[in-house]
Amino acid sequence: KMATGGLVGGLEGIRNPGALTSLIIVVVLALCCLIAFASRLFAVIRFESIIHEFDPWFNYRATHRLSTFGYYDFLNWFDERAWYPLGRIVGGTIYPGLMVTAGLLHWILNSLHITVHIRDVCVFLAPLFSGLTSIATFFLTKELWSSGAGLFAACFIAIVPGYISRSVAGSYDNEGVAIFALQFTYFLWIKALKKGSVFWAVCCALSYFYMVSAWGGYVFIINLIPLHVFVLLLMQRFSSRVYVAYTTFFILGLLLSMQIPFVGFQPIRTSEHMASAGVFLLLQVYCFLDYVRSRTTKQQFRSLFFLAILIMCVVLVVGVVALTYAGYIAPWSGRFYSLWDTGYAKIHIPIIASVSEHQPTTWSSFFFDLHVLSCTFPVGIWLCIHKINDERVFVVLYAVFAAYFAGVMVRLMLTLTPVVCMLAGITFSATLSYFIKNNDNGEYAMVGDDDDSEGDEAQNAESQSPRSLYDKAGKSNRAPPTGGKKNKQEFVGLGANVKGLVMMSFLLMLMLFVVHCTWVTSNAYSSPSVVLASYNNDGSRVILDDFREAYHWLRQNTHDRARVMSWWDYGYQIAGMANRTTLVDNNTWNNSHIALVGKAMASTEDKSIEIMRMLDVDYVLIIFGGMIGYSGDDINKFLWMVRIAEGEHPGDIKESKYFTQNGEFRVDQGGSPSLLNCLMYKMSYYR
Amino acid sequence: KKDRIMVKYILVVTFLLAIFSLCSCKTKQDLLDEKVKQLTEWSNRRTVIQMNSNKYSTYVKSKPRNYSMIVMFTALDPKRGCSVCREANDEFTILANSYRFSPAYTSSLFFAVVDFDEGSEVFQSLGLNSAPAFMHFPPKGKRKGADTYDIQRLGFHADNLAKWMAERTEVVVRIFRPPNYTGTVVLVLLFSLAGGLLYVRRNSLEFFYNKTFWSILSIFIVLAMTSGQMWNHIRGPPYYHRNPQNGAIHYIHGSSQGQLVAETHIIMLIHAAIVGGFILLNEAHQPKVDISKRRIMAIGGLVLVAFFLSLLMSIFRQKYQGYPYSFLLR
Repeated sequence: KMATGGLVGGLEGIRNPGALTSLIIVVVLALCCLIAFASRLFAVIRFESIIHEFDPWFNYRATHRLSTFGYYDFLNWFDERAWYPLGRIVGGTIYPGLMVTAGLLHWILNSLHITVHIRDVCVFLAPLFSGLTSIATFFLTKELWSSGAGLFAACFIAIVPGYISRSVAGSYDNEGVAIFALQFTYFLWIKALKKGSVFWAVCCALSYFYMVSAWGGYVFIINLIPLHVFVLLLMQRFSSRVYVAYTTFFILGLLLSMQIPFVGFQPIRTSEHMASAGVFLLLQVYCFLDYVRSRTTKQQFRSLFFLAILIMCVVLVVGVVALTYAGYIAPWSGRFYSLWDTGYAKIHIPIIASVSEHQPTTWSSFFFDLHVLSCTFPVGIWLCIHKINDERVFVVLYAVFAAYFAGVMVRLMLTLTPVVCMLAGITFSATLSYFIKNNDNGEYAMVGDDDDSEGDEAQNAESQSPRSLYDKAGKSNRAPPTGGKKNKQEFVGLGANVKGLVMMSFLLMLMLFVVHCTWVTSNAYSSPSVVLASYNNDGSRVILDDFREAYHWLRQNTHDRARVMSWWDYGYQIAGMANRTTLVDNNTWNNSHIALVGKAMASTEDKSIEIMRMLDVDYVLIIFGGMIGYSGDDINKFLWMVRIAEGEHPGDIKESKYFTQNGEFRVDQGGSPSLLNCLMYKMSYYR
Repeated sequence: KKDRIMVKYILVVTFLLAIFSLCSCKTKQDLLDEKVKQLTEWSNRRTVIQMNSNKYSTYVKSKPRNYSMIVMFTALDPKRGCSVCREANDEFTILANSYRFSPAYTSSLFFAVVDFDEGSEVFQSLGLNSAPAFMHFPPKGKRKGADTYDIQRLGFHADNLAKWMAERTEVVVRIFRPPNYTGTVVLVLLFSLAGGLLYVRRNSLEFFYNKTFWSILSIFIVLAMTSGQMWNHIRGPPYYHRNPQNGAIHYIHGSSQGQLVAETHIIMLIHAAIVGGFILLNEAHQPKVDISKRRIMAIGGLVLVAFFLSLLMSIFRQKYQGYPYSFLLR
């Protein structure tokens, strides 16, 4: 009575449906990895194997140092070529996970006598990890729903633009490896929670350690997991499994995360991490009270309970306030503060407001980055809540909070994307599973073990039960459950036409998603921004390589110790490509230094020469795009220089002076005198 | 003899002239003191002094002055229909009050307001044809271009006004806003309402375990975020856009960089419709429901999903120039 489709019939050797399931899973996942890798190669094919943009250049430089001089030299690296005259302690101010990963990969390949340049390892690291991400997403979604949903989610995350935007070949940045670490940590957490085993919790802590070493976004994990535990507690779903998983994870994760020099003592001192410690304490108290309750009468327990709650609240509040007051617990840092009080950054911190990825998100960029997933993933929330269990609580919380953060900041779209893929995967697989069945032969195919059989209490049994699979191949392979006869009659009734129609439109929708993703990747996210391309009327391509030529000029024609003043955007590129000393760079840790450079750019020549002499400047580098109509040049950014300078030197620089009487920002002869006489303008229009 | 008379006459005249000039000098000083005294008295009564044409010409325009004036020109009468003026007036009053109760308060700077209905001559003489406007009148010397506050560029937020004031008069004031309790009150009300509801229905808390309630709540939060309500909250765009040339009303912003409030509401509804369609499709397999109803649910869900997804794509296509794909609709 085994339900075997034509596919199985063709494969005579495979008689076991479990084997076929695994085969399909492996094949689809392998194709996912392949597609994930291939669709990120547009930039490499169009241009060359090159590091993109700004931050990746620093990461590349650091990796290069790591692979040349070794790990300990890298940890102790003091970079005297940045932030002149201050310098920068690199080892203690970066997340080393990315560099160590690339360095390790390079070392392994070279040990195997496969000689690759470290640059190529860096360029292809993000596409490689996106394949791993889609595998991790498959496992996570499988734990949450079913393997069919997992395969959908893996396919989605392999090509979704919201993730591709940060992980194309050449975009060698922390996020590239961090999303994999994020998904894998969540998978291990769910696994630990389900099994209640120390082993999986330790694995989860280790994966969390990797995440901490790779990206500052680890704060999302260390707040989401405690929140999950807390909500489980509120929903009276607390069990010893939760206790074992969380306490193991918390203690190990805390100790491990403190081993990263840049993180240091932050996990026990900053407010961002306090929620995890609070939930940890709460669990202990809860378990203690539970124990006491089992030993006392009801009356005694009640009075004891209220006393304990009162004492705990008072101690906690007084303790936190006193420690904050005494300076042991730091207040919220600016970037996190701007997540809650959304007007904060705009008023107080121009350097945060000036970065385009810290802007809030419009609906069109949600649609641009997620396409059909952005309107289908809420259905996944609906399905998860209606068939709730411990781990689905987690995915719902993940979705709601990630959606909030993505709404506040464009760059946090990256943390939303994985959960969108997972929930959309659940949506599509759940919906299709009812419409995909071929019931001509009168067979009732009950696909997906999650649908009716399990309730909240059945989850233990469920996790052991063999899982079936349904995917685009559309062949069910599970024996119908006993007693399915009655259902069959009614299910047939929906009619083949309706089903066919639904299937057709879903396929069209998914195809639209695929072409959208390819189009967006090709058009919006595959420009290295170091090399620019433009097209003539006849379709021939012109490569503008001015950036690299300029940096090369600096490298060839200036003294090795020459100090170059430029706006901070170009700091990493000057250091990486020209190998010259810079005053400020993209690691914007010192606002007053940046403001000083801004002031030099915005002052008249005689005033700025004083500042430049003070800072030992030999060369000034500016980008001028007026000749070819390149809009991202320094005159375009100039108002931000003025604003940041005004923030630190309100007496000398006034933003209003750089506008004309009518309040326009003009760069022709009608511009305001302050603008026409400032250093930046004079250098841009020196002829 | 005639010469002597002449000399005497001249002497007398010079004497008289001297006295007269002394007198006038004294009256000038007096006048100034009186003006300052009067202004101080007024500003003690009301921090923003109401002025008509006469007062304006004596206290602001005519010359003997040793004090700065910051004047708002406005039209507060409801029949003028200037809603911006009221907001600007609030901000201006906040600025004036912050100054009045700050340590920087002296009698060298006063705030005044001229309403169009009481001093239209003033508006004419200054060549003003829009309200509100903020102007600074320095104690001596002529007014410069920057003495007129650039409301187009800076808006009328009290902090920006204070910055401008500090630039023009070197009086630095920290803006003190009277705390806004409405948010707190609403929150307390909501909480007490929820608490009361829970208390009243404490014997039947099923709705608390109602999965549909929680699903709709979470889906609402998610849809609010994905339709860009947070962007609206931070950037404060207008509800819709009226084309000044032909009066046509646009609900959709022309570029993908911006959005209008109405647009986000439309998008939220579209998203909700697609989600609803999917839920219908999922509910259509419930064996308990009658078969014909299920068929209608399936078809309806499919139509909802297909139509609104096409609509969404066509709106996106309008906003994002050069986007090549569409589905069903252009």
